[in-house]
Amino acid sequence: MTMTTASTGAAFTNTTCNPYSKKWRPKPPLELVLGRNSTSNSTVRCCRSAGNRLFSLSVVARAAGPESSSAAAATGKSKDDEGNQKNYDNDGDGDGDEEEEEERSPSSQQQAAAASTMIKLDDVNPVGLGRRSRQVFDELWRKLTGLGQISRTTRTDDETSLLINEGGPMCEFAIPGAQNITVLVVGATSRVGRIVVRKLMLRGYTVKALVRKADQQVVDMLPTSVEIVIGDVGDPSSLKAAVKGCNKIIYCATARSSITGDLNRVDYQGVSNLTKAFQDYNNKLAQLRAGKSSKSKLLLAKFKSAESLHGWDVRQGTYFQDVVPAKYDGGMDAKFELAESGDAVFSGYVLTRGGYVELSKKLSLPLGRSLDRYEGLLLSVGGNGRSYVLILEAGPPGDTSQSKMYFSRFNTKVGFCRVRIPFSCFRPVKADDPPLDPFLVHTLTIRFEPRRQRPIEGPAGMKQDLRNFQLIMEYIKALPTGEETDFILVSCTGLGIEPTRREQVLKAKKAGEDSLRRSGLGYTIIRPGPLKEEPGGQRALIFDQGNRISQGISCADVADICVKALHDSTARNRSFDVCYEYMAESGKELYELVAHLPDKANNYLTPALSILEKNT
Amino acid sequence: MAWRLPTQMATSPGSVDYHVHPRLIKTCNLHGSLPFRHASSSPLLRLVFSPSPPGRRRCCVQPPLVRCAAAANLAPGTPVRGTSILVVGATGTLGRQIVRRALDEGYDVRCLVRPRPYPADFLRDWGATVVNADLSKPETIPATLVGVHTVIDCATGRPEEPIKTVDWEGKVALIQCAKAMGIQKFVFFSIHNCDKHPEVPLMEIKYCTEKFIKDSGLNHIIIRLCGFMQGLIGQYAVPILEEKSVWGTDAPTRIAYMDTQDVARLTFIALRNEKVNGKLLTFAGPRAWTTQEVITLCERLAGQDANVTTVPVSVLRLTRQVTKLFEWTSDVADRLAFSEVLTSDTVFSAPMSETYNLLGVDAKAVVTLEKYLQDYFTNILKKLKDMKAQSKQSDIYF
Repeated sequence: MTMTTASTGAAFTNTTCNPYSKKWRPKPPLELVLGRNSTSNSTVRCCRSAGNRLFSLSVVARAAGPESSSAAAATGKSKDDEGNQKNYDNDGDGDGDEEEEEERSPSSQQQAAAASTMIKLDDVNPVGLGRRSRQVFDELWRKLTGLGQISRTTRTDDETSLLINEGGPMCEFAIPGAQNITVLVVGATSRVGRIVVRKLMLRGYTVKALVRKADQQVVDMLPTSVEIVIGDVGDPSSLKAAVKGCNKIIYCATARSSITGDLNRVDYQGVSNLTKAFQDYNNKLAQLRAGKSSKSKLLLAKFKSAESLHGWDVRQGTYFQDVVPAKYDGGMDAKFELAESGDAVFSGYVLTRGGYVELSKKLSLPLGRSLDRYEGLLLSVGGNGRSYVLILEAGPPGDTSQSKMYFSRFNTKVGFCRVRIPFSCFRPVKADDPPLDPFLVHTLTIRFEPRRQRPIEGPAGMKQDLRNFQLIMEYIKALPTGEETDFILVSCTGLGIEPTRREQVLKAKKAGEDSLRRSGLGYTIIRPGPLKEEPGGQRALIFDQGNRISQGISCADVADICVKALHDSTARNRSFDVCYEYMAESGKELYELVAHLPDKANNYLTPALSILEKNT
Repeated sequence: MAWRLPTQMATSPGSVDYHVHPRLIKTCNLHGSLPFRHASSSPLLRLVFSPSPPGRRRCCVQPPLVRCAAAANLAPGTPVRGTSILVVGATGTLGRQIVRRALDEGYDVRCLVRPRPYPADFLRDWGATVVNADLSKPETIPATLVGVHTVIDCATGRPEEPIKTVDWEGKVALIQCAKAMGIQKFVFFSIHNCDKHPEVPLMEIKYCTEKFIKDSGLNHIIIRLCGFMQGLIGQYAVPILEEKSVWGTDAPTRIAYMDTQDVARLTFIALRNEKVNGKLLTFAGPRAWTTQEVITLCERLAGQDANVTTVPVSVLRLTRQVTKLFEWTSDVADRLAFSEVLTSDTVFSAPMSETYNLLGVDAKAVVTLEKYLQDYFTNILKKLKDMKAQSKQSDIYF
């Protein structure tokens, strides 16, 4: 019953209410369109009174059919949204069809569907009708007016368009998978940190910000969707929550004063605490995956029982085979045994000139593992602080005669320490051998020789004989490779700091850097020149190592390097200085510098860093 | 009674008092007259203030000369940081790209946004500061300009509101405030060839605003734009993907569409270039396209035929004529006025080599429409189809 009213209403609207339709007879579809639009406008404006709403609906019904299925779809959909699908009336189908035949419209499936969905109890709700009619009118009207426009786009603030226009792959900033990466920014309110946070947000990362106090000023400074964690880098217990769920850390906090206590707390202890907390978290994850995680280290040897010492041979030798041992040569001796305390101790003395003792074992890796998935060795050792040479023999496992030797010297401290030796540090004994291929390593040797030992710092007058040694071995592990950096530290070059405090500042920063390098995390240490508050991306940058730079750099450029370094394998385990390009006076060029122009389009970081030393 | 800004906006002899005066603006508003005209003879803007007769009058009876003859307030105080910018119209197609770009380049961005029931959270999410103000309420403007170095104005009124509230009265108020508060650079986005089409209200307004800025003595950059590629997505690409009908005209007009991200990038290059100060730049895309060409390109990239509804330009003009007849459709008529441009201009584009040289930009770095649409279709096709099920029209109807 209501439907008939509606359809008559429709007819009425079409014929009587539209004074313009006559003019445009020659083009039927267009006429409908325009007619409807002109009417639409009037309807929209008049239909504030409830009585007119039925009219407007009927216009919608037929309008939706012939020209744009979109309109019909829109109406149908909006109905679905209202969630009132129970009142489906089958009779409505027939009615709808008849109505359409009357209106001499071309029949199509969509139309039928549209018509059928029209007949619901909900349809006669005048508010819903009015709303729907306005929706359809507005869409069509927008289309028509859109034709006459040049630089106007339809205004859609919804998430869909946002995704397409900004967050999605269409956006020049987007980084694939960024939404699955959580970055903890420490010092998010610092000059660099503020920009880092924004850049990360723009690229779609999940960002956590570690702040000391979440007062209004701080909260206002950070984007709303940043997760704010309250904690202090000087307080290790507060960092646990901060690192939870984080994949990467960018550390741009710096001490607010140059008081030694502050410097120590933020620039040294802060970095150290955070790396520990992060490693603990990573280890926890690794444990959860029973050592099968990509972050798990591979245990090569653990010295805790008498059996574990099995297979380790103690040998001795001398570099000067042709020299007859001198008459007063004291000889040498070494042993490797489990001490009463339960520690495996390699100890002895070498008095022979040019002599050495070594501890060696043929490695047996677990099935399916090889060292090429690893990037270095980690030794947990103690003792009296001598330096040793670690020798790796590599070659085809069946034929030891083809083995090549690679060595790397490492220092220990008095007491226990962990030593990381990347495979890239190993150099061939014979200079013309190819670089070490970790895949082929089969034998590991630790050698002590009295040459090139440095006396350890200790109380004056303490007599040290550099020819005896003691090395307590705890374990040897292989460090897993990582493609990317885990921890980015913004340090400083020391330029621009008042000279009286420079020493202290640099000392604290250096200690922080060292603790990060030792932590076992993949690290990137950026040492920018004096920071300038100006927009980034304007001037070419120089990447260098060795404290030679002399220029400043904008905070935004530093932030950009931080963000780029997150996914750059060349940035892993590198420390570098960076500053603006500068022109040396001719004749005074000390060394050649290659400048790189920071730009979104080109990846300037990889070529800039690839020429620099790794593991620095 | 008179509400004045604490400034030195002196009036030159013989000119009308020109202080920011909300009541005055209100008056104009109430009368519904267009208080400006396309001044072809005089380089100065002519304005009519009240009492002006109600109705749509475009002629001025007594055209008084109006000047902002004042130096910027350079009194000592806390120096404004060069990285602080205010973006007006930050939620728009261009505005949001400007905001993104600015944030990424390390600026501190403040966005002037109209108070709205659903706040523009995405701006805050990116790290911009949002301040609520409304250009049509001049008293809300000055507070937003405190501590700002550069104002970037990419605002335009919404299609549904009268064209001159934001685009003229609001802009005049904004420029006056900017001048009074010593804003050090003002970037204004205008429309290409706006000086040649006084019959199109929006273009006339933009042209008058350009002149007004020049006369105000602000350190400014005016950037004229042709068309945005982003607009083509909603107009052609999405309807083709969703197999809806695409509306096009048969006009032979060619428009040099440009990616808003490129516009934003070039804008900031221009902003930092001292040589550009006070200049008028035109940004145009690498190639000018007709509607038909764009549709054909979309069809090819989408791999499906479009259901094209071609509306002759004559019909658009006719609609405009008709809507002009009634006062309540006059806004609609204004919006349709571009049909005049469509019929008169054959190529809506500008040579860019000089601009590229001035800015030191490589022409190849500017995205072409082919590339843009190809990226769109390859990347979004799947995503869009996934989303089609959930996504709905966004406009909210009450």
